[in-house]
Amino acid sequence: MDWKGYTVIYVVLFAFATAQAVVEFAGLVESAYWIAFAVIMVLSVIKAVGVAAYYQHLRWEPRAVTYLVVGGTVAALALTGAAAYSIL
Amino acid sequence: MSHDHGLPPKSSVSRWFLTTNHKDIGVLYLITALFFLVFGGVLALLFRLELITPGADLLGQMGYNQAVSTHGLLMVFWFISPFAFGFANYLVPLQIGADDLAFPRLNALSYWLYLFSGLLMGVSFFQGTTFAGGWTMYAPLNTPAYIPGEGLGATSVVLALIMFTAAVTLGSVNFLTTMYRMRAEGLRMRDIPIFSLSINLTVWMMLFAFAALLAALMILASDHILGTTYFQYSIDGTTMATDADNPGASLLWAHLFWFFGHPEVYIVFFPALGVMAECFQTFTGRRLVGRKWFIISMVLVAIQSFVVWMHHMFLTGINLPIKTIFMATTIGISLPFDLMVFSLIYTMAKGRVRFTTPFLFSLGALILFIIGGITGVFLGAIVLDYQFRGTYWVVAHFHYVMVAGATALFGGLYYWYPKITGKMYNERLGQIQFGVYFLGFNLLYFPMFIAWETPRRVFVYPESLQIWHSMATVGGFILGASFLLMFYNLFVSLWRGEDAGDNPWAYATSAEWAVSSPPPLENFPGVPSYATGKLEFLDDETVAERTERASGAGHGHAATDGGTAADGGAVTTRAAATATAMEPAHETAGEEHASHASFWPFLVSLGGFVTFLGLSGVRTGSVVYLSMAAIGGLVTFGSLFGMTREPFHAPEMAIAERWPFSSVEKMKLGMWTFLASDIVLFGAFIGSYAFVRVAYGWTAWHHDLIPAEHVTMPGLINTYLLLTSSFLVVLAMVAAERESKRGTVAALVGTFALGVGFLINKGLEWQHLFHIHSEAFPNGWNLSTNIASSTFYLTTGLHGAHVTIGLIICAYMAVRAWNGAYQGDDRAIEYFGLYWHFVDIVWLFLFPLFYIL
Amino acid sequence: MPSFVLSHTAAVFPLHGGGVRAPSEVFAQIFEVFLLLGTAVGVVVVAYTMYHALKYRDDGGADPYADKVERPQMGEMPTGGSGGRKVFYSFSISAIIVVSLIAWTYSQLLYIEQGPDPAQTDALEIDVEGFRFGWEFAYPNNHTTNTLYVPQDRVVRLQVTSRDVFHNFGIPELRVKTDAIPGQYTSAWFTANETGTYEAKCYELCGSGHSLMIAEVRVLPQDEYESWYNGTEGSTGSGNQTAANGTETATESADLAAPTASAAPAATAGGVGA
Repeated sequence: MDWKGYTVIYVVLFAFATAQAVVEFAGLVESAYWIAFAVIMVLSVIKAVGVAAYYQHLRWEPRAVTYLVVGGTVAALALTGAAAYSIL
Repeated sequence: MSHDHGLPPKSSVSRWFLTTNHKDIGVLYLITALFFLVFGGVLALLFRLELITPGADLLGQMGYNQAVSTHGLLMVFWFISPFAFGFANYLVPLQIGADDLAFPRLNALSYWLYLFSGLLMGVSFFQGTTFAGGWTMYAPLNTPAYIPGEGLGATSVVLALIMFTAAVTLGSVNFLTTMYRMRAEGLRMRDIPIFSLSINLTVWMMLFAFAALLAALMILASDHILGTTYFQYSIDGTTMATDADNPGASLLWAHLFWFFGHPEVYIVFFPALGVMAECFQTFTGRRLVGRKWFIISMVLVAIQSFVVWMHHMFLTGINLPIKTIFMATTIGISLPFDLMVFSLIYTMAKGRVRFTTPFLFSLGALILFIIGGITGVFLGAIVLDYQFRGTYWVVAHFHYVMVAGATALFGGLYYWYPKITGKMYNERLGQIQFGVYFLGFNLLYFPMFIAWETPRRVFVYPESLQIWHSMATVGGFILGASFLLMFYNLFVSLWRGEDAGDNPWAYATSAEWAVSSPPPLENFPGVPSYATGKLEFLDDETVAERTERASGAGHGHAATDGGTAADGGAVTTRAAATATAMEPAHETAGEEHASHASFWPFLVSLGGFVTFLGLSGVRTGSVVYLSMAAIGGLVTFGSLFGMTREPFHAPEMAIAERWPFSSVEKMKLGMWTFLASDIVLFGAFIGSYAFVRVAYGWTAWHHDLIPAEHVTMPGLINTYLLLTSSFLVVLAMVAAERESKRGTVAALVGTFALGVGFLINKGLEWQHLFHIHSEAFPNGWNLSTNIASSTFYLTTGLHGAHVTIGLIICAYMAVRAWNGAYQGDDRAIEYFGLYWHFVDIVWLFLFPLFYIL
Repeated sequence: MPSFVLSHTAAVFPLHGGGVRAPSEVFAQIFEVFLLLGTAVGVVVVAYTMYHALKYRDDGGADPYADKVERPQMGEMPTGGSGGRKVFYSFSISAIIVVSLIAWTYSQLLYIEQGPDPAQTDALEIDVEGFRFGWEFAYPNNHTTNTLYVPQDRVVRLQVTSRDVFHNFGIPELRVKTDAIPGQYTSAWFTANETGTYEAKCYELCGSGHSLMIAEVRVLPQDEYESWYNGTEGSTGSGNQTAANGTETATESADLAAPTASAAPAATAGGVGA
């Protein structure tokens, strides 16, 4: 990937970060918390995937590297999800 | 092949401080682990003496609690796993056909961190009292509020565990990289000997499980030293009422600890299983029956071990659906072990079973494990588990499992003793030791099943149970005495033992037995290869020929040349001839020699030890402790810098089996593996935040605990700064690729400046929050104010620490780029970038979670 | 019976739990089955192991299977040996035993979790609070004690928590046990069919006095219990008082002067190191 591609990614990341803040400034967090929550977290996930795929070049690495990263993520999510669910 | 490797002879003391050779380090691990076995064992004998009568008469209350707690910690952390990793260090490279681990200096660093962490544990006994809250360290008994006296010893134990965890994490990264990048030609992952396979799965579990433990320990250390309140029930000296403002505190520890703790059971047991399988094969003269299914079982267990942790928490009030799920996963994880047990049993069929000492220990371990397994099924029935909770049933069960593992490892010690020393131990004495050991073991632990109604960790118990506890004490001393025989045997045989020859065991097959005892420094007489289906040692000519052929397939940069993911198990040589990327390239024009000596790992660990010892007492304000922390920090940092500058060469193998990471150069693979564990570390921090917030009430949290002054803007600005810095790192890579020195330097300096900007912005924000005066927070909003402030400062602080480390590396690289480095070879920048982008990604989640939602 | 709100009057019209299957019976039955089966399986498997080890031992003579099996060779690529089918048969048998045992106990678990139908066995509800190093029991009328008094043959429901560290409340003879966690409530129930004196113990290490953290449990005949309980009615106000005092007591670290110290065995008179 050349610098142009990287720049496009950068602009998207920048815009998404701004969008997250806009969701709050627009008062959505106060009025419809869980919708705001979902929107903001989805934006974060998209940003993270973008950085990992393009800036960290996961797209061009063997899939095994992605599995490695996904493995760590799944372990962390299992801990978070199951622990939080257990006391609901 | 004799060349200057900079390593003094084994008779010289200095060799053992300098060596980075995996075999030397293996020996160091074995000896150190045995020392901690004695340490933990003596503590056990002390409290078994206390328990010989039902009354309290020997150790005193806190003395007893300290003895049981540190016994557990020492045995689980400082004895059994490191003992197994002594074998792993020595044997994995030999078994897979590598000449050393991928990162030899990192391996030495792991060892020294381990040793010094154990010494710190020892020092804790002299800081008033050491940790006394049980090896499970339940909260909030593990926090200063409930630790009598100054509690510095307890803090030292927490820090020692952190140091140990650092050693484990480095080791996991090292072993994984080694096993995926340095297997002999023709050796697929499934083809490596079963002991090495068990180590592979063990380090996978370690990589993730210990990251969760690290999170728990860092949080705990922060509660001890910085005054955060994650595990604290009591704030500002007032006891919280039932509407406590951190209702998740106690359970949070339990979740974090057991998320680590259950995989830890298999981390401890898997290497033992590997040793058993090796010994069974050799001493029955049979191949492992159902080897494929044995391996699949182990893989299943390794994965599933991360979803059974709540069976340690059945009585904590977790809901019924989650209990049901964890009951099912628990039963599910027990079944593969049935298969493995039967596989071992049937391996004996039609065999030539020789009852040598290693086989006796392996067979004994199998029998003990069968008993441990059956009594474990009792615990899988939740109704029974409720009543066994906190009793000697649990104690007896896990000793039958864990010490069965240790039993197999002692078998391993006899098995590989001739390989390691070149001498044969005294067989008769070994067999006698086994008899005494087995008798002592069962006399010690079996009565505990009968006396199971005794609560754990008590020093008084009903008189009716005295006979069983006395019996156990006697058994404990017999078990202890058996080790005197072992030490005597192994020590005397160093001189009096017969020469063992290359292979003293009929039917041994793995590669370590194909070389001399002990093996030469670089392991093999040629380059090992299984390309023909059988072990061969290739000469340099053949290797050169095959290298030539393979290098036609593809070279250049995997990340930029469009990907080589599909080349599967092919032999690649792309990066073989280059030095590791984060280190300055010092390769000489001529033939490359692998380095084997470095003093820096020792110094780094010594510095770490002094730092942590200092940190354990900084909260007292004592000048001694403060200066130790400062001096130790300088030593650590200075020696890390020295280590980076040191010319050290660990060449990649010319030909090797590298599936599934054939196009991922070892430094990159190491970095990714490390990042995977860092994901779990941050994941556990974020998970902790989520958990305590759910326990408090997710939405009420924001209104009750967070001041209005905590606004989005600083976070948004920092998001912009980090995103931009990430972009600049990528540009630095592009510039380096185009050999534009100015561009590279400019981009790196830009990255650095943005990172510094990030930290300054954060500093200003924190200052502001520390000193707000609102109605709700008249005394500011600092680390100790409430659980929300604790999670905010600690989680973003951990991230800030990552940024700081990144900046140090970035500054170093900017200077090197200024001097002309990286032009045309951007790999070092790429690997730094992997780290930096990861730090960026973490922020992408911290920003919404801590600033918006 | 329509939703019967528990109040002080509940004690006046106790509904009997004598017909209820006590947790101790459930435990005893399951434990017995597991012990029998576990022992049997253990003996069979260990004997089977030893049989293999001894039958195929190398007696120093010629290899009796030399022409039947191939022995491993130095330097060979590891492969599996023959006989995998037998492994699967044995594995399947063990899996069936384990899974069916656990499945059977699951129905019992649901009973233990949900308790007997509350409509039939109106329970006595008691709040239990652990502290270092003792237990405090709060009755529906807010009376608090450090000895647990319960009527015979009546379902007793416990709401358990802790005011300092992680404890675990258990009465071993009655097979009731649950964690006492600061900031959390857990529940458990039991019914005692025999009058007498039992002990409640702490099953989680909680500090210097952990070994001595024992409370007395008195199971009284129903009428005796009622007269005891009625005698406590007037102490509602002082019950709160006691709770407040207790809170203070707990903050004094490692103070064994807490009321339960008298229940500790005499042999432990040694110094309280803290």
